[in-house]
Amino acid sequence: MTIIATLLQVIPYYFDIPVLSNVASTATNAVLLIVACATFVGVISVLMVHAKRVQRRTEGWYFSGLIIVFVVIMVLTGLPLQEFGLGSKNSIFNWIFTNIQTPLGGTMYSILAFFITSAAVRAFKARNIEAAIVLVSGTLMVMGNAPIFTNTVPVLVDISLWIRNIPNMATMRGVMIGAALGAVALAVRTLMGIERGYLRGGGED
Amino acid sequence: MSIMDKINNLDRRIIYLLAWIFVLFPLIFPLGLPIPISSDARSWYNFVENNVHDGDTVIFSLMYGTSGMPELFPMSVATMKHILQKDVKFVVLGFWTEGPLVFNALLRQVNPADYGKVYGVDWINLGYIPGGETAMGALATSFQNSVAVDFVEGRPLSDFPIMDNIRTATDIDLIISFETGTPGAPEWLRQWNTAYGVHIIVGCIGVSVPGMIPYINSGQISALMPGLTVSAEYELLLNKPGLAVAGVDAVSTSHLLIVLLVVIGNLAFFMTKEEKK
Repeated sequence: MTIIATLLQVIPYYFDIPVLSNVASTATNAVLLIVACATFVGVISVLMVHAKRVQRRTEGWYFSGLIIVFVVIMVLTGLPLQEFGLGSKNSIFNWIFTNIQTPLGGTMYSILAFFITSAAVRAFKARNIEAAIVLVSGTLMVMGNAPIFTNTVPVLVDISLWIRNIPNMATMRGVMIGAALGAVALAVRTLMGIERGYLRGGGED
Repeated sequence: MSIMDKINNLDRRIIYLLAWIFVLFPLIFPLGLPIPISSDARSWYNFVENNVHDGDTVIFSLMYGTSGMPELFPMSVATMKHILQKDVKFVVLGFWTEGPLVFNALLRQVNPADYGKVYGVDWINLGYIPGGETAMGALATSFQNSVAVDFVEGRPLSDFPIMDNIRTATDIDLIISFETGTPGAPEWLRQWNTAYGVHIIVGCIGVSVPGMIPYINSGQISALMPGLTVSAEYELLLNKPGLAVAGVDAVSTSHLLIVLLVVIGNLAFFMTKEEKK
């Protein structure tokens, strides 16, 4: 089944065979349906995990209670039933998204600024030659991305672009090609039946 | 413990406090620092200006959630303003669950109706399409088979005149994708660029930029908008200063803090090293 399902997607990508393309398209649409249904599994799973925590009064159970309340509210108000005033235009749904989820999401991402500043101070120390290279290139990249520096020293832009476009690109290409070769090897092993861990979520026999 | 030792072992809470002050100060008291225009901003502006022609059809894809909004939302708004100035049709869609809701927030900043664009005729919102890369591949072969109804009115795609001429990837001239992760540019490239030759331009968060450079260099991605600073430059090129210009002073001061702390930290590191010798 794995071989058939894989080849069904791979062959039409490279060869124009209408019959295979149609079958592949049908299989792909089936996958979309399965993924869409999996959304419900996700919601149920979240509710079950947090309901258990509330039931057992484990540490921080009240946060789990909050999650349950908001999941239920968002699911109910976001149901695609426009004739009942529900869906993405629902005022409660929109209020929660705009005034709770959006600032919380932004805050989570913005916390990175604090961690990066702290990490840069600790990591950017010229302990040896390799660390010195990281220090210099990292600091130049930081400076090349801030108008406060590039206004006064315009050449910083060229330097940071050079670091980004030459050494960085060479490294990233190496990483990408290596990962792609690894993926091809894994695919071939799977197709040949050597790699069977995915069937039971464990390792090989 | 000497002062250099103290600097060397600076409590992270002090660093956090300094970072907070350096970010907050310019947001309350804007510095209005001049913003030089980089080649990235020019490439993006020139691509949209010169390579998006009247009559083209564009996919406008928001592949991020609320966490990506601080960095990606300003460039999404600015690009939408640029696109709306042209006589193009556009399809809004996302393979991230929150994408359509972020687009609703964008509509509060830019209303296509103000530019004479009619929903269903000049643009359409297909909402979230589940399935990641598989869904991208399916959409490329058939819009109508992959999406049952539109996101705004919940009506079949056949009800909208714009969809009469949009059936497969071959009907699309450009993808504009703003993204924070997977699925994102590599998936678009595999399913739409390599397979159908559709041009793609990508706006991404700063940490994703190194991974995008090979695609830019190979020409697979036609233009890249790397982070908030370049968004601010793009807003200036458009002559529509907005959210990014407002935030770029904070980028400057936070970067200044990092450089200062790195310099002081290294001085302290070497001085304590000498003392120990």
